[in-house]
Amino acid sequence: MPQMVMDDEDGELAMLRDSVAAFAENRPGPKTVRALRGDHRDMDTAQWTEMAEAGWLGLMLPEELGGAGLGIRHQAIISEALGRALIPSPMTTASVLSSLLLAAAPDSAERSRLAEGLIAGSAIVVPAIEANGHLVRLNGRREGNVIRLDGHIEFVEAAHSATDFIVLAEVDGKTLLLSLPSDCTGLSRADKEGVEGTPLSILVLEGCRVAPEKCLIDGADAKTVAKAIDLARVAASAELSGIASRAFEMAREYTVNRVQFGKPIASFQVIQHRLVDLWSEAEMAAAAVVNAIEFLEGEDEKASRLAVLAAKARASDAASLIARRAIHLYGAMGFTDESDIGLYLKRAINLGGMLGQAEQLRRQFVIEERAA
Amino acid sequence: MMQTDWNSLPDEEFREIFRDWVDDNCPSELRYMRKQRPTYEEVKDWYQALSEKGWLSPVWPVEHGGMGLNPAKHMIYVEEWARLGCPRIPDHGIGLVGPLLIQYGTAEQKAEFLPKILSGEHMWCQGYSEPNAGSDLASLRTSAVLEDGHFVVNGQKIWTTLAHCANWIFVLVRTDKEAKPQRGISVLLVDMSLPGVTVRPIANLRGEKDFCEVFFDSVKVPAHRLVGEVNQGWTLAKSVLGHERIFLGAPTRPEYALGRLEKLATSRGAFDDPAFLSRYAKLRLDLYDLGSSFERFAKILRSGGELGADVSMLKIFNTELYQRITEEMLMLAGEESRYNDDLETENGDVDAMNLFLDSRAPAIFGGSNEIQRNILAKAVLGLPG
Repeated sequence: MPQMVMDDEDGELAMLRDSVAAFAENRPGPKTVRALRGDHRDMDTAQWTEMAEAGWLGLMLPEELGGAGLGIRHQAIISEALGRALIPSPMTTASVLSSLLLAAAPDSAERSRLAEGLIAGSAIVVPAIEANGHLVRLNGRREGNVIRLDGHIEFVEAAHSATDFIVLAEVDGKTLLLSLPSDCTGLSRADKEGVEGTPLSILVLEGCRVAPEKCLIDGADAKTVAKAIDLARVAASAELSGIASRAFEMAREYTVNRVQFGKPIASFQVIQHRLVDLWSEAEMAAAAVVNAIEFLEGEDEKASRLAVLAAKARASDAASLIARRAIHLYGAMGFTDESDIGLYLKRAINLGGMLGQAEQLRRQFVIEERAA
Repeated sequence: MMQTDWNSLPDEEFREIFRDWVDDNCPSELRYMRKQRPTYEEVKDWYQALSEKGWLSPVWPVEHGGMGLNPAKHMIYVEEWARLGCPRIPDHGIGLVGPLLIQYGTAEQKAEFLPKILSGEHMWCQGYSEPNAGSDLASLRTSAVLEDGHFVVNGQKIWTTLAHCANWIFVLVRTDKEAKPQRGISVLLVDMSLPGVTVRPIANLRGEKDFCEVFFDSVKVPAHRLVGEVNQGWTLAKSVLGHERIFLGAPTRPEYALGRLEKLATSRGAFDDPAFLSRYAKLRLDLYDLGSSFERFAKILRSGGELGADVSMLKIFNTELYQRITEEMLMLAGEESRYNDDLETENGDVDAMNLFLDSRAPAIFGGSNEIQRNILAKAVLGLPG
């Protein structure tokens, strides 16, 4: 019921939304989540290929790179719908963030190769440039023609399936954005099990040698990268908003159907008031994401920055709060693994922790606002 | 006077014209008044300035002396008013009685009452709640019996804001005791100087007397003071607030309170305390996000749409946020929270206790937040029972 409300005169957004819903009917999200965690897989690559065929990957890549050249508005609609349907995928990182980083890079053969592969789904391009809400720069050193990379990066998703990583390195006082093949000698991986049962990896680089043509941006300014991350945050927020909305609906449906004391429990005032509060949170999250999208489409950089921080914080907290309360409203059923509501909570926590966690983003908002 | 079609102006042009005039004409000593509900006498100069300009009544149609603003322009009017710290005027006549009569009144009623609201001659108050009919307003018992061309009114109203400064009251009365509660209610316009009307002010938590009890002891009200049809008062009473329900969700008070909290916190060095920063950030972002949600509904009005029951979510969030901000203010005040007096800072005083106490009220009035949740549960979420 709650969803992002945006102008959609030609019905394009509604069509995108419907296409994801249709996709979800054939590939129910919860089923995929269960299959992935059972097999200890990091992502469903067959599904990823289908997403590529649907035209959802590299949506924000400019047309000269073969992308659809669409904006954050369209991406957010897809992400929101994926969130609702709980379809697991590294959309925010391996499509949105990668696309934006590639779009920010000057023309090069490597950039074209990655963009082409990303759109087709044949290359899985995973950015590993950020952890705990901060940029991670590897140590880089020029050794003749090549660049030697050392260091590690935590919380990398889809690291098993990745064909290429995008990393940042500090080389001679300059920040470079580099493409790093996943089979690079000296690159190893340590896995932790993520909350959804799929791995989150630590990439460890020990003397990885990267050819100069792998350099995407020689002298990447922090602002460009920050802007890409902010747009990716909005995609994650939209997905979280979709999770929040759907988790609320599930709580509503469950309590309307669950009969105790001869009545649906949703007829009891205490339950009704809780549902109203959850609905309100879901609406607030959707409105916060729309607000960020509208600022990003405008000119005011500072205002859009604050709007993004607010949206990610709001959507993260709303999704996780609603899912937690929904579990409670489900009663013991909510505590079972069989019930899908728990999967929504886990996704909410997973995405909520990505690209800066709510508490951190709120503090950042206040610090940046007061610094003005 | 030359009439302008305000709605045909671009929003920003209208905003500028309105703001400039208000800034020049609202007396500075009335700005940012501590009192939420000043009396007519206290704000008379401002009321009369608006009246003379023809800007007292933003939404009444032009033919009745209003500005005829559409909801989008009305929002600008309200926003600029708040932004410039203008005091609230006694607005029951403008906001409630006017729209009621314009929609349901007879030609005679309109001709008699509307000009006197605009001139300030009639100050109205709203006789709705009773000691035993608050949230359950439809159970009201003040009775009106038609005898020889008069309604004889007996009963008691309570929480009647500014009744002690009003000379007219519009009252919900029971005219049919047998019908279902909602079907036996009528609206009467009552001259408060009639014999049998007694007003007793009630001091509120802030020590101000802005609401009252009003007693009716066999008050004889001429039958032509009935508005609309007899026994149709419930529908009338519910219909007068249209798009204006959005203003219960306008974040004006929490915005003001957060500004005070920030001032106090800066003065006390609290932003260096990570625990405070974290709590402040939550409040700041709640206010920011309330703005985004408010904007969602405002956009509907600007594009000519109508608001649904869902707009009440703003009222709940807004009034509860206001409370949380003022609670934080008292926590920050430490032992100074024992002061009724304003707290001193190097950038001016902060009325912490005043705001804390004031913030208790909005979650109760205009339909308590629990009633709002009941309405949302039924009308928006479609929950059973």
